[in-house]
Amino acid sequence: MTRNAIYSILTLAVLLLSIVPVGTAVFLLGFVAGDSPCVMCWEQRTGMVLVALTGLFVLRYGPRPKYLGLSVLLGAWGIFMGIRHTGMHAARDVGQGFSLEILGAHTYTWALFIFWVCTVTMGVLLMMLKEGETLARPRTLRAIERLAFVVFLVVVAGNIVQAFASTGPPPYMGQSDPVRFSFSSKNWVWSLEEWSPAPVSLRGRWAIEKPGVSNLSADPAAGPLASLPELPIREQRTLTLPLRGSITDLAYEQVTNRFLVTTQSGVYITDGSLGRIAKYTVVDPGYSIDLGQFAGATFLERKIVMAVGENKSYVVLRENDKADADKNFRFFLDSFDKFDEVSRSRLGTVRARMMYTMSLAFDPATKSIYTVTVPNARVKRLVVSRFDRRDLTLSEEFMPALGEESGLRLAGDKRSLDEYYVTGATIDGGRLYAISAAFSTLLTIDLVTHTVVAAHAIPGLSRPVGLTIKGDDLYIVGDSGVLAVVARPDASAHPATTAAAPGTGK
Amino acid sequence: MEFLNFVLILIAGYLVFQKPEKERLAFRLLVLSVLLMVGLFSMATRTGLLPGVNY
Repeated sequence: MTRNAIYSILTLAVLLLSIVPVGTAVFLLGFVAGDSPCVMCWEQRTGMVLVALTGLFVLRYGPRPKYLGLSVLLGAWGIFMGIRHTGMHAARDVGQGFSLEILGAHTYTWALFIFWVCTVTMGVLLMMLKEGETLARPRTLRAIERLAFVVFLVVVAGNIVQAFASTGPPPYMGQSDPVRFSFSSKNWVWSLEEWSPAPVSLRGRWAIEKPGVSNLSADPAAGPLASLPELPIREQRTLTLPLRGSITDLAYEQVTNRFLVTTQSGVYITDGSLGRIAKYTVVDPGYSIDLGQFAGATFLERKIVMAVGENKSYVVLRENDKADADKNFRFFLDSFDKFDEVSRSRLGTVRARMMYTMSLAFDPATKSIYTVTVPNARVKRLVVSRFDRRDLTLSEEFMPALGEESGLRLAGDKRSLDEYYVTGATIDGGRLYAISAAFSTLLTIDLVTHTVVAAHAIPGLSRPVGLTIKGDDLYIVGDSGVLAVVARPDASAHPATTAAAPGTGK
Repeated sequence: MEFLNFVLILIAGYLVFQKPEKERLAFRLLVLSVLLMVGLFSMATRTGLLPGVNY
């Protein structure tokens, strides 16, 4: 390809970049439609203008390495800006976004695409260059190249007008939520909001600490509910099961009189006394979907168990004493012939989003699976999420309130149920029992009225991570393997449901 | 600040177009404009410098 042909392609690229995204944005969207860029849109638009300007440098001075290098850097930075901006809205529902939509995509997503096209174009042009193309003196511009300069300068002049009206002179700068463009100065809003102090962070709201029970206050008296009745620990012992890792949850199946115990990646089925392991496997948490560390477990239907990671990713396993060990190599790290993997996916939440969970419970009466959130430094909400067993999709979420007839009251105006740190849950008789490692408190939540109908302090608990019902007792296990048994606070109120339970609940 | 940046860009573009002998000054203005853009974007996104997606 001749040198002039390459310059012609570059000239067209500069014209296209100046007219289509930037010119359209300022003259049509801005001056005609009244659109005003947000602060990030301004910088993305500036980035496109600067890419065009480096193209003009090449047209005038030839392909000097510093111009080519800078154009590649600008393209890469523009792609980063596009991802950063698009990422803010990427997880919204269909059609939702920020400001204007063009051809089915919002403007910031077009910026990502345009910078990508720019970078690809620069790569192609670089490949077309021959050795020794650099020039000793400036080129004499052809007519079309002069036109590119004129168009560029007109477009930049338009941006100067819009930037002055929308953002103002220095030190004023672009805004997160700009008002629409106007030629009338009485409608101009100049802001210094971006100069106000704000914490610097790499991941922003996605920087959420992993859950854990080691730094929680176990004192029930320090909890958000005042004057709670106590449930005494009737029996306490340390489990001596040979587990790989520490215990993370506990479930009980009445029909077969067996317990289900999980560790970080292990799934163990034990006898009814928690003294002997009947079968186990260790799930590979990194195969395909990242399961994190198991935080909850439950029996589902006959011979089907489910374990959920703190990140609400789950695995469903089927007991099979004749499982094909070779086939299961991909799923498990140990004991390949006792279970088959049925499914592995993620529980999606709305209110519970951006919060981890440390509990899992199954209600056989409604064929529903429940999780409860644990608060973190950024999001503090106690959210109960219900998932339909058939498709494991979110069916209901609620934030429990104090039941009016419960007699419970908060210890102060600023106290909240959101302070509880639920690490184990189980269901019986339409009630969800949740043990909070913070303040060693057992909450009883009515799943119909969505209220906390009772709460009990259990002094002496040691970092509880699992909870289940066996008969009239609650079994609470700590991460160090200490098992505490307490009487169900309302066992007499639900004798029928306990006796009639189909035995597959947790 | 965006207004200032576009003024810098306009001057740089004009120099390259009409005063090509001022190449060094034009390039300095270009670099200054790039740094200003990077600085303003970083300032606007300092509460979450990396793209806000699930890590």
